[in-house]
Amino acid sequence: MIHQIIFLYFATVILVSALLMITRRNPIHSVLFMLLLFFHIAGLFVLLNAEFLAAVQLIVYAGAILILYLFVVMLLNVDQERQSVRANRFWPWVAAFGVLIAGEILLLISRSTFPGDAGKTMATPGAGVMELGQALYTQYLVPFEIASVILLVGLIGAVMLAKKAVKE
Amino acid sequence: MLKYALIPLLPFAGFLIAGLFGKYLKEKAAWFPIAGVVGAFLLSFSAFLDVLGGTVIDENLYSWISIGSFSVNVGIQIDQLTAVMLMVVTTLSSLIHIYSVGYMHGDKGYPRFFAYLALFTFFMLVLVMANNFLVMFVGWEGVGLCSYLLIGFWYEKKSASDAGVKAFVVNRVGDFGFVLAVLLIIATFGTLDFTEVFAAVNTPVADVTYSLFGGEIAVVTLIALLLFLGATGKSAQLPLYVWLPDAMEGPTPVSALIHAATMVTAGVFMVARCAPIFSLSEVAMNTVAIVGALTAVFAATIGLVQNDIKRVIAYSTISQLGYMFLGLGVGAFSAGIFHLTTHAFFKGLLFLASGSVIHALSGEQDMRKMGALKSKIKITHAVFFIGSLALAGIFPFAGFFSKDEILWSAYNSSDLGRVLWVLGVAGAFMTAFYSFRLIYLTFWGKSRVDHEVAHHVHESPKVMTVPLMILAFFSITIGLIGMPGALIPHANWFGNFLAPLFPHAEHAAAESHGLERMLMVFSVLVALAGIRMAYSFYVKSTAIPGKIVEKFQGTYNLLLNKYKVDEIYNYIFVDGLVHKLAKVLHSIGDVKIIDGFINGLAAAIGNTSVQGKKFQTGYVQQYAFAMGAGMVVLVGLYYVLK
Amino acid sequence: MNTAISISGLKALLPFLIMTAAAMVVMLGIAFRRDHRFTVLLTLAGLALGGGSLVFTPFAPDRYVTTLVLVDAFAGYYLALLFAAAFAVVCLSYSYLEIQGGHREEYYLLVLLAVLGAAVLAAATHFASFFLGIEILSVSLYGLTAYQRHRDQSVEAGVKYLILAAVSSAFILFGMALVYAEVGSMEFARIAIRAGAAGGALLGTGLVLIIVGLGFKLAVVPFHLWTPDVYEGAPAPVTAFIATVSKGAVFALVLRFFGNMDIRVGGALFLIFTIIAVASMFFGNLLALMQQNVKRVLAYSSISHIGYLLVTLLAAGPLRLNASAFYLAAYFVTTLGVFGVVTVLSTRDRDADKLDDYRGLAWRRPWLAGVFTAMLLSLAGIPLTAGFIAKFYLVAAGIGSALWLLVIVLIVNSAIGLFYYLRIIGAVYSMDGPPGPSMPISLSGSAALGGLTLALLWLGIYPGPFLALIGSLMQTAH
Repeated sequence: MIHQIIFLYFATVILVSALLMITRRNPIHSVLFMLLLFFHIAGLFVLLNAEFLAAVQLIVYAGAILILYLFVVMLLNVDQERQSVRANRFWPWVAAFGVLIAGEILLLISRSTFPGDAGKTMATPGAGVMELGQALYTQYLVPFEIASVILLVGLIGAVMLAKKAVKE
Repeated sequence: MLKYALIPLLPFAGFLIAGLFGKYLKEKAAWFPIAGVVGAFLLSFSAFLDVLGGTVIDENLYSWISIGSFSVNVGIQIDQLTAVMLMVVTTLSSLIHIYSVGYMHGDKGYPRFFAYLALFTFFMLVLVMANNFLVMFVGWEGVGLCSYLLIGFWYEKKSASDAGVKAFVVNRVGDFGFVLAVLLIIATFGTLDFTEVFAAVNTPVADVTYSLFGGEIAVVTLIALLLFLGATGKSAQLPLYVWLPDAMEGPTPVSALIHAATMVTAGVFMVARCAPIFSLSEVAMNTVAIVGALTAVFAATIGLVQNDIKRVIAYSTISQLGYMFLGLGVGAFSAGIFHLTTHAFFKGLLFLASGSVIHALSGEQDMRKMGALKSKIKITHAVFFIGSLALAGIFPFAGFFSKDEILWSAYNSSDLGRVLWVLGVAGAFMTAFYSFRLIYLTFWGKSRVDHEVAHHVHESPKVMTVPLMILAFFSITIGLIGMPGALIPHANWFGNFLAPLFPHAEHAAAESHGLERMLMVFSVLVALAGIRMAYSFYVKSTAIPGKIVEKFQGTYNLLLNKYKVDEIYNYIFVDGLVHKLAKVLHSIGDVKIIDGFINGLAAAIGNTSVQGKKFQTGYVQQYAFAMGAGMVVLVGLYYVLK
Repeated sequence: MNTAISISGLKALLPFLIMTAAAMVVMLGIAFRRDHRFTVLLTLAGLALGGGSLVFTPFAPDRYVTTLVLVDAFAGYYLALLFAAAFAVVCLSYSYLEIQGGHREEYYLLVLLAVLGAAVLAAATHFASFFLGIEILSVSLYGLTAYQRHRDQSVEAGVKYLILAAVSSAFILFGMALVYAEVGSMEFARIAIRAGAAGGALLGTGLVLIIVGLGFKLAVVPFHLWTPDVYEGAPAPVTAFIATVSKGAVFALVLRFFGNMDIRVGGALFLIFTIIAVASMFFGNLLALMQQNVKRVLAYSSISHIGYLLVTLLAAGPLRLNASAFYLAAYFVTTLGVFGVVTVLSTRDRDADKLDDYRGLAWRRPWLAGVFTAMLLSLAGIPLTAGFIAKFYLVAAGIGSALWLLVIVLIVNSAIGLFYYLRIIGAVYSMDGPPGPSMPISLSGSAALGGLTLALLWLGIYPGPFLALIGSLMQTAH
């Protein structure tokens, strides 16, 4: 019972903050609502006994990515952004698109049966980190290594694009 | 018999040298294609002698494609039919190559012209020597491509490049049929080899029916009809004939070689090659015969009133091809091929001679600006006259024997055949009329030549007139190889030669010889009447045509405008279909479309300004949105279907 | 199924390890000696080594390295194809970048890493390797597309590709999540068992979303909108890379992922693929008709070519793997050749993408014009070129499965397609071209083009041995 109440709390806040995030005119407000959103998603992970994911969620999303966003937003001229018209002549299409997607998601939920134990795979509290570590260094060693290459590519790409043009 | 693989390869080598080194060789480039084609002619002659001696060659050179149990070889087949085609193609090609040395002299595209011509010869030889459908398709596509390139040879003329495109589009329709037929053959017989397919058409393997448009249709009929669709495209029959008159925009030697003597007969050749398939389907045979007869008459009526010297001959080509199909359709395959052979010589002659006229008149093609040339260009006039007699079917010129064999076969085949015979005779009358109208307008009567041009009128050089004389000689004599049994029994050497392939050739029973002779006399009289009428219209009392035109203004205009078929096609397909489609796509598809191609505005619009703007307008969101919309549709579709 | 990596597993991973090592060596090489030719030689050596190592790689039908990567003959064939294509791209890039100036060495680093990503895709049998492969490939391509920072078009293309590829990755990830929610596994083999008629809505929706994401990478309608812009904006050799290595690797993955499912049974997926294929063929060809820019024409033509290729996915029977293998090889050779010509004709200021750049080419450079003509004719599927055999093979596989609708649409489209290729060829052979100074073509460029032309004719005239090779490789793959 208490589980469900906590879940309902997180879920409601996630929905509301998501909605507020995309409707605010002030970009800083939007970013702050996003922060709220990320925190509550982390809460959901805790509820699923996935502490490691919750921590990663906080560190990576709330910590790193959001700060980056904030920096970018700070560089914008907030007043000007607030005045610009958001809805353009395509908005009926976009709205119809949203309605359709929502309909399809509802259809999907109504039509599928979710495995009952989906949330219980990491049942033992605290075991998540260890299991994850073991999986990463045995079965998932290859992708783990490959993932490091992605970082390298990103690095090279960024350096290449950002560096000054050489004079001949 | 591997040496016969060289027959197509020699012209190909000529093409490579002329094409790649033409820049350096200049006018010397012509000698390599000529050497290649003449070499091919000599080898063909040797192959012909082999076949005459009873050796039929059917050999696979190597395995081209093998997919599981299905395989296609690159192979050559030289049987009686191929031997005849080889002789026709290499003889004509050699003569026309030589003629072109004079005709194209001084043209800036000289090496390119010979390269294309040699390449064309290569593909044509591949087409006739193929031993399976796929290799034949190689030649089929190749000659179409060369024809496109050669029609648009003088691409600076907009009409020339348009004509090239038109030929191309129309032929695509035909090729679609051909390709589908080939695929059906694979699906039905699991092989493309001529020998194997033709052996299997009579077996239960072929007992397949498809339901199409609510009716049942046997696979053999379907294949035959689709093949014939391909033939109507290549050989310019109704309703796909429209490209051939426009193809006259190409240089005249091209018109002679490709659009009269060889490529346009590929459809006839292909139907004859597939005789075992066609013979099994009465529907297909009747279709071939009816389309042929209708085209023969239809094109002849248009030819009556045209003023461009090359267009008259072009319509006569369409009409004569119609006769060939008529012959095939009534089962007289060897008669159709015989007409193909004689026609190649006299029509090649007519085209080259008209080229000589155009050459003499510094490029003038309008017959209204000719006249009284017979004393100035005597050789051209003489050979033109011979060619026209052959075309009109006057005894004993070449056209007489072949056309008569077709008409007699039609008359002799069935009730439908008699109706078609009437059409054929009507066509023969018109043929005689328009071919002599051409002679009289061009060479006889009063001179209407421009003053400026008249000074320069001259006979063509030897390199052009000698090929003309050789062709004229054949136009007189070649018919004798197909002497009908009604005149001299068992003298139809041509029919006997092809008899192993088309066993029904000798159908004329002795008791009907009298009737046959009577019909012969009749058709010659009809042709003479046509010539006489042309004489009185255009030499004696030149006022008559004007009066007739006045009286039948509507009919005349309809004929002059070629029944407005081009306009109708344009209205339905180009304006209706293509433009509408383009518009729809324009609105939903690509933002940056430049309408250059469809509207015919060749100028490339500088789009730098568009580019600058585009960067600002945030199309990325729209692209992403389109992706999302696509996702919504696909997911929705999934729910609907599941 | 073993979870740890054994020594033989490492041996099987040799091509991947060599690619990574090559990237490291090139990176260090640049640090010590910034020299264009030196870097190119290192890169080529790396690619050659990677390709050569395939000879020693123990291919086996069940050579899983953990559950993520399957190094079987199928993967081996595509790895070889990808390495060879990258080799040609590097040769062409050398002649292209040599006249561009600026820092050019990092370019090859990105190429090597992109090839690694593509290679991972070709061998992936698990969502993890699938996604990582896609990401490495995409991230490298962002950099490569925008490599010419001084050209607005190039930067714009890079940004567009970045944003849209990110969107497509989101679709793929969400799709994977849905599939996992129903199947409880990320291995292709297990997913394939559950897919088909018995699959539920979660799995089905997930698969459709994955199709959307992959459709973006393959540039099929309606996920193709980026293609013309990126093809036009990216440097010519990069465009060649996107058209061949990137699409080829993704298609190999598509074959591996959907090929094991019985999509004909389910009906819905089969129909979705059919619609995508038909729409791609028509849109690609009809829109190509209306372009004046050669690179955009080729972009639309590539859309239609992938549409043709999808026929192999829909065909049943063992032939389809052979057909797609051959088609991709022919398509690689042809596309690289066409873009190779665009590359060697490009100048420092802009790429040779206007029709006018090709006007009268035959009189200035008859050999290059010959190569270009051969390549375009192959794209059009004209006999005696690789493209004809490839298309014939496709059609044969199609009628083998009685896919008459698709086959007829394919033939109609081939006919339409011929048009715009011939339009370019017509320009090449026209007489009024600009005289233009004849810039010498670099040795590496002519070597690459020469090799590609020979391959084109070999595959078109005497494809027997190659078809036999494919046949034996693909037989063990399934």
